[in-house]
Amino acid sequence: MTTTAWVIDKIKTRIGVDGPEVTALVEAGHVTRFAEAIGDPNPRWTKEAPPTFLVALAPVSVHMSDAEEFGTGWLNGGNRFEYFAPVMIGDQITAKGRVVDVYDKAGSSGNLLFIVFETDYTNQRGTLVARLRGTMIRR
Amino acid sequence: MMKVKVGQEIPELVKHPTPRQLVQYAGAQGDFYEIHYDQAYAKSVGLPGVILHGLLKAAFLGQLLTDWLGDEATLKTFEVSYRGVDMPGHPYRCRGRVTKVGGDDVELEVWGEDEGGKRTTIGTATVQLAR
Repeated sequence: MTTTAWVIDKIKTRIGVDGPEVTALVEAGHVTRFAEAIGDPNPRWTKEAPPTFLVALAPVSVHMSDAEEFGTGWLNGGNRFEYFAPVMIGDQITAKGRVVDVYDKAGSSGNLLFIVFETDYTNQRGTLVARLRGTMIRR
Repeated sequence: MMKVKVGQEIPELVKHPTPRQLVQYAGAQGDFYEIHYDQAYAKSVGLPGVILHGLLKAAFLGQLLTDWLGDEATLKTFEVSYRGVDMPGHPYRCRGRVTKVGGDDVELEVWGEDEGGKRTTIGTATVQLAR
């Protein structure tokens, strides 16, 4: 059986190493579909992206396959968004993500594996617009 | 200018997520993890059925904040922790309260409750009031 310790050792070697950059355009149609999906009719989202939209632009986690050797499912533990500048429709956003921490905790039905990801989002002018931290739990 | 004081609760937002909305959100975010639309799969990994995306609940709480802020303040940080699963077909009530005011900077606690009043998502936000 694969243990959390074994997976942790494997993922630890990647801490702080940037994953591949993903660049994507903030398209009006995509923002509209996102706003409709979350049920937010605010007219502001015809010009600007809503606070959590960045998660739809690029995958928010990396190196998942190693973690999937442990456990049966994923849960999202939490997310932290830090905003430095607005994200407007038409912006070209580059996302760069990395693993920043990995650890385990005893749960009621065995160990849980926690992986903390961080993604930086930069616009076409090179301005850091937001940073996202997310904790994914493998159980 | 916006009047804000510690202890003040912001107007709540009640959402009524449906399985259709989960599929819509899966498409809009690009998160096609089966636990959000495939009942048999969700049960096979020990869940009671399909569950809301954590990030959809975060989006609901984001709406709670931006509805309240309007253009009178800017969201600076927004943090959520998912403490329980929520299923479509049940109302999801988003609430928030001001915890600290220092000059133009305001801190809030935000949370989402299920219909039993259990806080299945808890979080904090910091906002900066426009001068």
